[in-house]
Amino acid sequence: MDRVIETDVLVVGGGGAGFRAAIGARQRGVRVTLASKGPLARCGATPMAGADFTLDGRSMSQIEGLAGDPNDSPEKVMNDIITQGCFLNNQKLVEQYIRRAPQCLRELIEWGIHIKISDQRMIFTTGTGIMDALLRKARAVGVELLEDITLLDLVTDDGAVIGALGLDVRSGDFIEFRTKAVVMASGGWHKAFWPTTGMRDLAGDGLAMGYRAGAALGNMEFITFCCNVFLSPPAWMGSIAPYVLSLLAGGGRLTNSLGEEFLQKYDPYTVKVGITTEWNKSFISHATMREVREGKGSPNGGVYYSRGDVPWEKIEQVAALMCPDWRYKAIDLSNWGQMLKNNEPVEVGSAAEYFDGGLVVNDRFETDLRGLYAAGECALGAFGANRVFAAITEMLVQGADAGDNAACYAQTAKILAPGRETLFSLQAAAEEPLRRSDGLNPAKVRRIVQEAAHKNLGPIRNREELEAFRGFLENVRREQLPNLATQSKSRIYNKEWLDALELGNMVQLLEIATVSALIRTESRGVHYREDCPLTDNDQWLVENVVRRAGDGFEITPRPVTVTGMALPTGKTPYLEFMKKMMASHSDTGGKH
Amino acid sequence: MASANIKVRVFRFDPSVDKQPRYEDYQVPFQAGMSAMDALDYIYQNLDSTLAYYDHAGCALGICGRCTGRINGKPGLLCQTIIAGDVTLEPLSAAVVLKDLVVKTGQ
Repeated sequence: MDRVIETDVLVVGGGGAGFRAAIGARQRGVRVTLASKGPLARCGATPMAGADFTLDGRSMSQIEGLAGDPNDSPEKVMNDIITQGCFLNNQKLVEQYIRRAPQCLRELIEWGIHIKISDQRMIFTTGTGIMDALLRKARAVGVELLEDITLLDLVTDDGAVIGALGLDVRSGDFIEFRTKAVVMASGGWHKAFWPTTGMRDLAGDGLAMGYRAGAALGNMEFITFCCNVFLSPPAWMGSIAPYVLSLLAGGGRLTNSLGEEFLQKYDPYTVKVGITTEWNKSFISHATMREVREGKGSPNGGVYYSRGDVPWEKIEQVAALMCPDWRYKAIDLSNWGQMLKNNEPVEVGSAAEYFDGGLVVNDRFETDLRGLYAAGECALGAFGANRVFAAITEMLVQGADAGDNAACYAQTAKILAPGRETLFSLQAAAEEPLRRSDGLNPAKVRRIVQEAAHKNLGPIRNREELEAFRGFLENVRREQLPNLATQSKSRIYNKEWLDALELGNMVQLLEIATVSALIRTESRGVHYREDCPLTDNDQWLVENVVRRAGDGFEITPRPVTVTGMALPTGKTPYLEFMKKMMASHSDTGGKH
Repeated sequence: MASANIKVRVFRFDPSVDKQPRYEDYQVPFQAGMSAMDALDYIYQNLDSTLAYYDHAGCALGICGRCTGRINGKPGLLCQTIIAGDVTLEPLSAAVVLKDLVVKTGQ
């Protein structure tokens, strides 16, 4: 072993959930180490976010300087999150979200975030601003911060996690972690898809290693695609700037390759809610994909966005807020500004953006594996079948409690050194692509898998395609993964080596998601099956829980966790049920 | 979409094995609006997978700053510098290279 690091709580992931968990654990007085796969406070999904923090308006109105609708209430938010999630939500986690959100927002303000807008039940800030505030706080409380370190596997002893094997991406050195508890906060697995809105680090490592070590995964078939993502020019591909602008400007014109305004064929109420609120992700992505599948898509598999009848002054006003001088993050969008002014279309489409499922946790954020906690996007969280409220709030409320609970657990647990043989065999397995003299190029295999995932596991699915994709993935697992070989044998910043290691995780998660999507013979939220177009509340108000079994896995249904809101019954056509859920919204306005 | 090829000259140096840096030329299909990183992605995925540039956790959208380098001699972000034709891609300084276009931490 090149290096040994001992700690009390190891946090895996350098986004908002990981940092908030690390701060919470450290405030309990235990030693905390946070391993970030990329640059500190500049990797994971958080820095890419718009970003909105949502909470109930009444609590918000009690925070000095914020708007917030005093007539809003936790009960109304509960109703809205659960109807948006099409009743598949874990209601205990929804309650936790609502209860913890006001305090988490107060902290963020105290730690120095800048608020750009505050409305009925959300504040709008920036993902990078949130990360900067969390980084300052983590440093102030004494969290050990590691960057460019990726975790390869967890090590367990007698049913509890006791350590992990890590890899220093720069040097190629292995790192042995000895720890009493682990908080998994590794985010989504965007990298299994192309295109995607995520950073390049989000490969699902945390979900896959947690699952391998014995934790359960759930609802992996629910994958949210963001609509109106740039598909061209290449340098802008994956940026969500048109999504943010269209939402804040309250519309625009979407056309297919024939120039048809395809949203006109849908129910006007659904379209209105589906454009002006964050229902847009599920509704517009669905509508966009239908055009693409009918052969009316753009060259890169999307549609076209122009400002339509939104006045140029309104666009300028929104742009001044979200991208001053037409710079969004560091992207120079001045050409797009001109195009919007002239009402010229730009190519946009739907891309993998948020993973509603993940590691199964209880309301203490404990997984099935003792000592392993999970928070944020990598956990099966509060949002059920469809997320409209903010993932930013989710990562902070869950990170806060997961970190706190992990620290309490660590206070009574012991440090145990992982067994030599276990570590040796994990290292040997990881080194295989480096040692193999001849074989398949990991980068090429990765790209083929990503494009197939986008095509087959998108917002619109059917049995035939899912079965074929399952066969494709099985073939990759059996024939290609064991034959991946890096061309360069240097351990120093070897991209091919990382690609090979990540690919195993991505294929594992894709197989689980595909089989989960096959089993779920209904349509709900972001999961739509052409061959099963009804939302089936009689049979399918259950979570698909996945556990390892033998060489494969087994999926068992688990009834939805209910605390306060009774579940609906009956079968309803997909879009009709979506409209019903939209119409069940409380009387509090805003984008959520 | 793709039209003629452009020549992309890339700085190559692995200080752990190489005595000195060298340059390698690649033919990359040109697309209007492509960034220097789009060219590197093409090279890595299709021509030469031994090439190193900061990608494993990069954002490709101008946020993380880890892909700072020189594009035709001028400092900039590889992911947000649009290229229009033949181009030379180098690190900011050969003295701080970890491998190819990836520089050492803290530099």
